[in-house]
Amino acid sequence: MSAALGVLLRMALRNLVVHRVKSGVVGAIMFFGVFLVVSGTAMLDSIRASMEKSITSSLSGNIQVYSSEAEDELALFGSMAMGASDIGEIDAFAPLRELLLGIDGIKAVVPMGIATATVFGGTEIDRVLNDLRVSTQAADAEGTKMRFEQLGQIVGRMRKDVALAATASSDPEKVEDNLASLDRVLAPGFYDELVADPSGTLDWLDNKVAPVAADGRMLYLRNIGTNLDTFPKSFDRFRLVEGEMVPEGQRGILLSKAFYEKQAKNYVARELDKVKKQLDQGKTIAEDKTLSELVARTATQYQRIAFQLSPVDATVVTEKLRAKLGTDGDLATLLQSFLTMDDTNFADRYAWFYAEIAPKIRLYELPVGEEITLRSFTKSGYIRAVNVKVYGSFEFSGLETSDLAGANNLVDMMTFRSLYGKMTDDQLGELAEIKAASGAKAVTRDSVEDDLFGGGGGSLETETTTTTGAGFDEFAGVKLGAAGSAGALDTTRYTTAQMEDGLALTAAVILDNPDDVPAMIETIEAAAAAKGLKVQAVDWQSSSGIVGQIVMVLQVVLYAAIFIIFLVALVIINNTMVMATMERTTEIGTMRAIGAQRPFVIVLFLVETMLLGAIAGGLGAAAGALFITWLNHVGVPAVADALVLLFAGPRLYPVFTASNLLFGMGSILAISALSTLYPSVLAARVPPVVAMQAKE
Amino acid sequence: MSTASPGIVRLTDVVKDYPLGKVTVHALQRVNLTIEKGEFTVIAGPSGSGKTTLLNLIGCIDVATAGEVTVDGKSTGKLTDKQLTALRLNSIGFIFQSFNLINVLDIKQNVEFPLLLQGGMTKAQRAARVDDVVDKVGLRQFASQRPNELSGGQRQRVAIARALVTRPAIVLADEPTANLDSVTGTQIIDLMRDINHADKTTFIFSTHDDKVMKRADRIVRILDGMLEAAGLSEARASGVIENGGGVHA
Repeated sequence: MSAALGVLLRMALRNLVVHRVKSGVVGAIMFFGVFLVVSGTAMLDSIRASMEKSITSSLSGNIQVYSSEAEDELALFGSMAMGASDIGEIDAFAPLRELLLGIDGIKAVVPMGIATATVFGGTEIDRVLNDLRVSTQAADAEGTKMRFEQLGQIVGRMRKDVALAATASSDPEKVEDNLASLDRVLAPGFYDELVADPSGTLDWLDNKVAPVAADGRMLYLRNIGTNLDTFPKSFDRFRLVEGEMVPEGQRGILLSKAFYEKQAKNYVARELDKVKKQLDQGKTIAEDKTLSELVARTATQYQRIAFQLSPVDATVVTEKLRAKLGTDGDLATLLQSFLTMDDTNFADRYAWFYAEIAPKIRLYELPVGEEITLRSFTKSGYIRAVNVKVYGSFEFSGLETSDLAGANNLVDMMTFRSLYGKMTDDQLGELAEIKAASGAKAVTRDSVEDDLFGGGGGSLETETTTTTGAGFDEFAGVKLGAAGSAGALDTTRYTTAQMEDGLALTAAVILDNPDDVPAMIETIEAAAAAKGLKVQAVDWQSSSGIVGQIVMVLQVVLYAAIFIIFLVALVIINNTMVMATMERTTEIGTMRAIGAQRPFVIVLFLVETMLLGAIAGGLGAAAGALFITWLNHVGVPAVADALVLLFAGPRLYPVFTASNLLFGMGSILAISALSTLYPSVLAARVPPVVAMQAKE
Repeated sequence: MSTASPGIVRLTDVVKDYPLGKVTVHALQRVNLTIEKGEFTVIAGPSGSGKTTLLNLIGCIDVATAGEVTVDGKSTGKLTDKQLTALRLNSIGFIFQSFNLINVLDIKQNVEFPLLLQGGMTKAQRAARVDDVVDKVGLRQFASQRPNELSGGQRQRVAIARALVTRPAIVLADEPTANLDSVTGTQIIDLMRDINHADKTTFIFSTHDDKVMKRADRIVRILDGMLEAAGLSEARASGVIENGGGVHA
C-alpha cells in the first residue's frame, strides 16, 4: 500500500513538473489563498486579542452583567442605533454584587451606569462679566479697569457683527435695540457708571449685552457612572493625567483627556492640532484642498484668541507678533496674518502658538478644578441638572489617541443616578415633605379625570412614570445657560454602600482567568436565575457595542475575501483538472487497461492536486507567517482613530499561531480535494478501451 | 471439435455491435474461437476488419453484445468492472500499438507499475522481478531512463516487459509493430516468440503485416467482422486455419 502511495506521489509530483504552467497558475492561486488566510486570520486574532485587552482593561471588564429585560443590547462604547438605548436597570446592585463575588473565579465586580449629559462651554463675554463681578466685589480697581478694557474689545467686535448682520435681520427693532445697548457700553462714561453702581450695571450687562453674543458652545458628555474608588484598581489601563481622583465617597467627574482635546479645547488650537496631524501624515497645505480650506477657516476665527487675551496679554502678544511677523497692525490683523499659514511656516508658528499664545488664553473649557453643570434628559423626558466638580482628567494607557476609548467620562454613581433620573434618599425625603406640606396626593392615569374634576379636595400630583423622581425640580439652585455657575454643590461624603447599593445599569465583572469567559457567563446566568435575579451576562465583544461590531465587520470582510478567493480557486482548479483529464485519457485508459481500479485513478488525481495544495499552500503559509513576523517587527500603524482602540495602542504587533497555519493549510487541502472530486470521478470513468485507440 | 479443450481463451457465438448515429455497425458477427495455452496466435485482417474489437473482448476491456467470452477459465460477461479489472491485472498483459508508457515514470517504474497495483510483494521481490524482465527484453542499461529518451523499438520492449512482469496467462498485442520499422518490428516479434517458447506464455496479437504473420504459430483471419473460414467447413467454422500448428475445434 505504501509502495502504491509512493508511486502515486512520484507520479503526481512529476505530473506537476511536466504541466508546470497549469501547476504555476493553480499554485499561485493556492499560494495567495493560504497567504490571505494565514495573515488575515492572524491579523484578526491579534486585533481581537488586543481589543479584548484594551476593552476589558479600560471599561468593560471580562463580562458585563445587565438586565435581561433590556430592550436594546448593551453598547458601552456607543452603538449604531440612533437615540438612547434601553438596557434595563439593576434596581439593587448589592444583591447582584454579593451573588457575583460568591462565584469562584470572580476577582471584582464594579457597578456601572451610562448617562449622557450636556454642558455649556460658556462665552467670552460671560467669563469677562464674571471676572468683572469678582473684581468689583473685591474693590480691585486695577483688575476692574483691565477687565473693562477686555469687555470693550469684545463688545466692539460684537457691534461690528451685529451691524453686519442687521441687513439680513427679520427683526430690525431688536437689532436697533441691541446696537443701542452695545453703543452704551462703548460710549465714554460707561466705565464711570460701572464704578458707581457695579451690581446694577453688571445685571444690566448680563441681561442686555451678554444675550447678544452667540450662545455658548454646548458640549456633549457621555458619562459612565461607576464606583470611582474601585474603578482604577479594577481597570489597570486607567491613568490620571491631571488633577486628582475624586475624594472617596464624594461626587465628582473625571473628564477624559480625549474629550478635552477633541471637544473642550480652544477652537483655534484644536484646528491647528488637526492641521498638524494631517501634515504629520504626509499631506501638504499646498496640495490638499481640504487642508488648505481648514487653514483658511482657522485664520478667520482669530477673535477666539483675541477675546480671550487680557488687555495686558493682548499688548504683549501684539508686540511679539509684530516682531515675529515683521509687520505693523492691530492685534486682529496680526493674529489673522499669523494664522494664515503655509507648509513652510506651519511647524514654526504651531510651536510659537503653543509657546506664546496658548498659556495666555483659556486653552480648555471645563478645566480641572472647575465646577460644571451637567444636564440630561431622564428616561421620562425631564431635564435633570447636576452641579459637579471636575477633579481631573484621565486616559487609558495605550489608547491615548483613540476617540472611541476617550468618548466616555467617569462620574460617581450618585451623579449618574441624578442624571439618569433616580433620586437620592434625601431627595425622596424632601419630596415627601413637600407633598405632605402641600397636601398633594398621587393619582393614577385611570382615575385622573375623577380625581381632577370629580370634586376631590386638595392639590394633586400626576404620576406620569414609574420612575421615582418624576416632577422633582432639579433646577433649584442651578444657574442655567452659563458655565461655572455658583449652583449648590453636593459635598456630602457618601459611604461605599450608598454609592454602590442603589440603581446601576450594569456590573463589570473582572475574572481571575480571562479564558473562562464562556463558562463563567453560563455560571453567572445560572446562579442569577437560581436567585431570581433577572440579569444576563455578555462578553466584552457583545458589551462594547460599535467596537465589537467593528471586529464582526472585519471578520465578515476577511471571510468574504477568503470565500471569494477560494471560490475562484475551486472553479479554476476544477476546470484545469477537467482539461487535464481530457488531455490524459490515454494515460488513464492505459492504467485502467493494465489493471488500475477506479479508486486508484481518483486517488491519483486527488493526490496530485493536494500535493500542489500542500506545496503552494505551505509556501503561502510560510509567506503569511513571515509577513506577520515582519509586521510584528515593524508594527502596523493605527492610521485612523478607531484603529487605536482596535490595535490597543498606536501600533499593532500581530502574531501568528499554529491554528492560523493549520486553518490555512486545512482549508486549501479541503478546497483541493473538493475541486478535484468531479474531475477525478470523470477520470475514473475513462474506459480502458481508449488505450487501444491511442495513436502515436 | 467435441474433444476440444476449453482453451485459455474461448469465444462462443460472439457478436459486437456499435451504434454509430442511427446505424448499427456490426463489428463482430457470431465469432467462435478457441485459443490454447501457449499458442503464438496472430489475428490478421485489413483495417476495419474487427481485429482490435476481437482483441478488446479477449482483453476484457470491452464487452460482447451477445455470445460468451471466456478468459483464463472465467466467463467475462458476468463479471463486474472491478472483477474485470482484476482479471486484466492478474491474467492479461497488454502491448499497445503506441506503446502507452507512463511518461512521468522511468523504465523500471513503468515495468514495476502493474506489480504495485497487484500488491503483496516486497520491494526486493518486485525489484528482482523487474530486473528479470528488463533483462529479458535487453534494456538493462536503459532502466533508469524515461520513455521519451528511448527509440520506438526500445519503448515497445519496455511495453513487453511491463506486460510480462505479472507473469500473465495471456499477452495481448494490438499491432505491436505498426509504429516500428520493419527490422525493429521483426526483432520485436522474434522477442515475443522467444519468450513464448521459453515461458509458454500465450501470445495473441493483431497485424496486417504479412512478414509478421509468417512468424506466428497460427493465423486467425478476420474480414468484415467474421472469421474468414466461417461457414466453409466444420473445422474452419471454428475460425482455425493451419499455419504449421494443429487444428483446433
